[in-house]
Amino acid sequence: MRFSPWLILACVLVPGSVIAEERAVDFSRDIRPILSNTCFKCHGPGTAKAKLRLDDRAKALEKEAIVPGKPDESPLFQRLIAKDDDGRMPPPESGDPLTPEQIAKLKAWIAAGAEYTPHWAFVAPKRPEIRGQKSETSPIDHFIRARLAKEGIAPSPEADRPTLIRRASLDLIGLLPTPKEVEDFVNDTSPDAYEKVIDRLLASPHYGERQARHWLDMARYADSNGYTIDGARIIWPWRDWVVKAYNADMPFDRFTIEQLAGDLLPKATVDQKIATGFHRNTSFNEEGGTDAEQFRVERTVDRANTTAAVWLGLTMGCAQCHDHKYDPVSQKDYYRLYAYFNSCDEPTVTIGGSPELEQKIADLNAQIAEIQKKDGDLKAIDKLKAQIKKTQGAIPSSLVLKERAKPRPTHVQIRGDFLRPGDEVTPAAPTALPKAGGKSRLDLAKWLVSRDNPLTARVVVNRYWQQFFGKGLVETENDFGMQGSSPTHPEILDWLAVEFMEPTVGKAWSTKQIQKLIVLSATYRQASHARPELRDKDARNLLLARQNRLRLEAESIRDAALCASGLLSQKVGGAPVYPPQPPEVFSFTQSKHPWPESKGEDRYRRAIYTYIWRQSQHPLLTTFDGADAQTACTKRNRSNTPLQALHLANDPAFLEFADGLGKRIVSAGPTDDAGRIDFAYRLCFGRLPGDAERSRVLKYAAGIAEAQRWSAVGRVLMNLDEFITRE
Amino acid sequence: MEPYALPDSATRRGFFRDCGLGVGTMALASLLDRDAAAAVPKRKDPLAPRKPHFPGKAKAVILLFMAGGPSQLELFTPKPTLNKLGGQKVPDSFTMGKRFAFIKGDAKLLACARKFGKYGQCGMDLSELVPHHRDIVDDVCWLRGMKTDVFNHGPAKVFFSTGSPQFGRPGMGAWVTYGLGSESDSLPGYVVLQSGPRGPRGGAAIWSNGFLPSLYQGVPFLKGENPILDLASPKGVDRKQQGNFIDAVGDLNKLRQSAVGDPEIETRIAAYEMAFRMQTAAPELMDLKTETKETLALYGAEPGKASFANNCLLARRLVERGVRFIQLFHTDWDHHGGAIDLGKSLDNICKEIDQPCAALVKDLKRTGLLDSTMVVWGGEFGRTPMGETRETVGRDHHIDAYTMWVAGGGVKPGIIHGQTDEIGYNVTEKHVHVHDLQATILNQLGLDHTKLTYRFQGRDYRLTDVHGEVVRDILA
Repeated sequence: MRFSPWLILACVLVPGSVIAEERAVDFSRDIRPILSNTCFKCHGPGTAKAKLRLDDRAKALEKEAIVPGKPDESPLFQRLIAKDDDGRMPPPESGDPLTPEQIAKLKAWIAAGAEYTPHWAFVAPKRPEIRGQKSETSPIDHFIRARLAKEGIAPSPEADRPTLIRRASLDLIGLLPTPKEVEDFVNDTSPDAYEKVIDRLLASPHYGERQARHWLDMARYADSNGYTIDGARIIWPWRDWVVKAYNADMPFDRFTIEQLAGDLLPKATVDQKIATGFHRNTSFNEEGGTDAEQFRVERTVDRANTTAAVWLGLTMGCAQCHDHKYDPVSQKDYYRLYAYFNSCDEPTVTIGGSPELEQKIADLNAQIAEIQKKDGDLKAIDKLKAQIKKTQGAIPSSLVLKERAKPRPTHVQIRGDFLRPGDEVTPAAPTALPKAGGKSRLDLAKWLVSRDNPLTARVVVNRYWQQFFGKGLVETENDFGMQGSSPTHPEILDWLAVEFMEPTVGKAWSTKQIQKLIVLSATYRQASHARPELRDKDARNLLLARQNRLRLEAESIRDAALCASGLLSQKVGGAPVYPPQPPEVFSFTQSKHPWPESKGEDRYRRAIYTYIWRQSQHPLLTTFDGADAQTACTKRNRSNTPLQALHLANDPAFLEFADGLGKRIVSAGPTDDAGRIDFAYRLCFGRLPGDAERSRVLKYAAGIAEAQRWSAVGRVLMNLDEFITRE
Repeated sequence: MEPYALPDSATRRGFFRDCGLGVGTMALASLLDRDAAAAVPKRKDPLAPRKPHFPGKAKAVILLFMAGGPSQLELFTPKPTLNKLGGQKVPDSFTMGKRFAFIKGDAKLLACARKFGKYGQCGMDLSELVPHHRDIVDDVCWLRGMKTDVFNHGPAKVFFSTGSPQFGRPGMGAWVTYGLGSESDSLPGYVVLQSGPRGPRGGAAIWSNGFLPSLYQGVPFLKGENPILDLASPKGVDRKQQGNFIDAVGDLNKLRQSAVGDPEIETRIAAYEMAFRMQTAAPELMDLKTETKETLALYGAEPGKASFANNCLLARRLVERGVRFIQLFHTDWDHHGGAIDLGKSLDNICKEIDQPCAALVKDLKRTGLLDSTMVVWGGEFGRTPMGETRETVGRDHHIDAYTMWVAGGGVKPGIIHGQTDEIGYNVTEKHVHVHDLQATILNQLGLDHTKLTYRFQGRDYRLTDVHGEVVRDILA
């Protein structure tokens, strides 16, 4: 081994971690992060100060900054250890001096020949070799456990069954399991009991709703235009398209192609056109006095940035104004990607109304004609016209993309300013990645999901992993570039990515298959209890010696409360609804939006169906870190705030849910107080309370008047940390 | 190590990103990092104060935002040349290559119909529209060379508050509470107050937490005794019963905590306790009846009647209670002419704000709070020297030169900073760009605007984007 003399102590995990090991210097792992963080800002692709680039070996050698094998003769190294402030690199005023360990690594690397290896994420994934694997272990567990064994850490035991089914239900369909489902699972002694639960959840019509919400986050979905006026728009048919696609397990390559370029497919169906709504979720400025071209450019920029973030996991937006400082993405590359989206028209497609509606419109038109013939009463005509508009509003339509007959030329925009056109460019993939096949949006879409593209599959499976563990294998789920973090378990990432594209069994690009592999793993099934003995070794649980406890997303909090209360509507899809919300929400907006509070079943729909006014979202969403529908959101925050406490404790909607739960306890539970508490715990947590818990609830219940008692108990349970946590 | 400090690797960034989410994780961090121990607060709620980058002069900020863009030419910058040239076409040399929201290239200069006088030691020009400002003329630093980048209301407001014209970034108050936490353990750290006929264009995007955790979002205070959504306990639940509820939730959470050992549960217990305190602290704050007649008269405030004056008084009360960042919006300053013009409309809105603004500065000064409170007055842009051809007199949006003022928080009182040309079109000296003002506000709070960063979509974002210079000339 060539590097063996240069063994150094490398701290491979995180600050505070004592996990460290001796090994040879590795360019990707040890050197590139130093160069990228410290040097590329001035000597990178976008800057090249003193005409020196350190991101490219040939260029660095050409300028004789590095003499391979000879650190003492390499100006690069000499500058690092220079005594005088004038000559030392990085310049003292940059404020980021290198540590002695970093300098030692660079010395070792130069001494070993200063080899550059390509950035891991830009090399196509290969199926990793699995050595000594027991046939019954999944490759996920194999790699997780191998690493844990190396650190001398035992994995956690499997979570108990009530926890496990609650976890899987919340993760896969976003709903609580019923007490019956929990009981059946607990009593099922067959070896595939758990797999049966997973198969049932994957086949549920609610699976698509849960998975679609993640996708809607990235698509910046809303039911309004944004900016200051924030007028209404109809694009929910696209949302339904996504739900259906997940439920049908539409392969991800097709899912991609239809959304980015469904309109360009031969004989495109209405559904394929609706799919292109993905990129119609951009904001639209209706303010007076705006420059239409400026905001068309902004929407196009948004489309390019979102595509790069969602499929490539790259921060291409950095290159809008200048060459990327860290990644091999030039400003020209940016506008080449932009060019794919620069010739989109933005029409609406009607989906066809019911015969009754069409008849109604015809009748109203006939009435207008009659009045015009008689007295031409303008008031009456206006009234009828308003009725027509209202009726037409009930005919579903959706926003779509359509390619212009004659493409717009695309120019680099100097400093990102659309008024300063630079060189003309044509559509193309970033130079550092394999070439795309052509110049249309369809070519781009096909390229994104081609086997040669090293990024898409990894980026997508990493986000699935994030859904099931709270963090991706690559923690910077939105940055697979040089500044992103390295995967904690590169073998698992690559194995999943290859398995996604070229599965050993089953169909290619199947989301359900990949998610099933993850949730069936022993790693996923572990208990989430904290392990104090690991606090020093792996405080952030990167090695996954246990599951993570995760606060539920905003939507799941509502949905879980609807489940426990027994009020949940199972209806899937359709126009957005208006569950109760305080009227004060619109007291801080420019215009008051309609909020016709839904009655009946629509009052209890899942949160994904709540109308989203982009600039004044439902307080549930803004309070619990919902996606802001402005830019692609690839990961939700999980904050923990007093306003969340006020919301759960006092919001009329949650009081209604607590009341529902209270009524359910009385009507469907046993008659004794302790039995009722047990019943309520099973509804909310899938488990029975401990003795201390039961007696604490009893004590609380005793202080409440009979009539309110069980609603009050319901309110307490729905406010517990455990209720809004997936354990 | 501060939780927002510029970290040295991507993993480290991710680590601190999580730390922003709860004190539980923060406390864990302290076990790992000796430096962190010093910064870990005694308070357990998630908004507990944090150490600044360096000792700052200001502890709190009050932003008096005049939504719509007040006309500097009618209020603060008399231009005799402009008045002389009124009715003439603006020389091309001024408008070459410029874009406007509404006016076209042949726009004519509009003379100002307002009378001005010079006041105070600093000799600042004030028009007849703002007589109460004469009282504070020497307590204020006048920024006459303000510049911004965007000329439509929504994007410009969002730009002023978040440093970017694109929606989706955190507001200034969110950045500040992210950096410093808040002194108050019973009120939100970032409070938004609104007055005028409608909410500001841009809405919640202006005070959004953006990509920061929702803990840091601006909380719009509503009119009435319960200013926060869902503040009031449910009907029929009195204070004692609500207390029993909070205790039961807390005890059951503690039991869970002992079973699973997750520090996030401790944070949640603290959050419920803070929420419970808010339920009394917020109505107490809103109750202006406890103020003296003299104070109410100073502001022109009336208990129970929503107004800009009441909001100014509330701002002082919020500062007294340790709230970090208070943003007042008053609409509508969009004096294009037509329905909203530089005549009666401007008279009225100036009457609404003149006395309360001055009162706030005076009141903070006499209570000794002005030294540690930075008050900032202004809009998203100013208005053009050219008039608009509508039924009545008005001006268009102007981004190249307008006036704002700041007072307190370690800013030099009684100075005029910046100058514009003879028609008020361009800044001729000492311009202050919005990013510079943002950098200066952070600086006065003890925050380095280049170091207050948050990792999002692979980039370290900051309030001032990649721009901004602290305006040292105006610092005491």
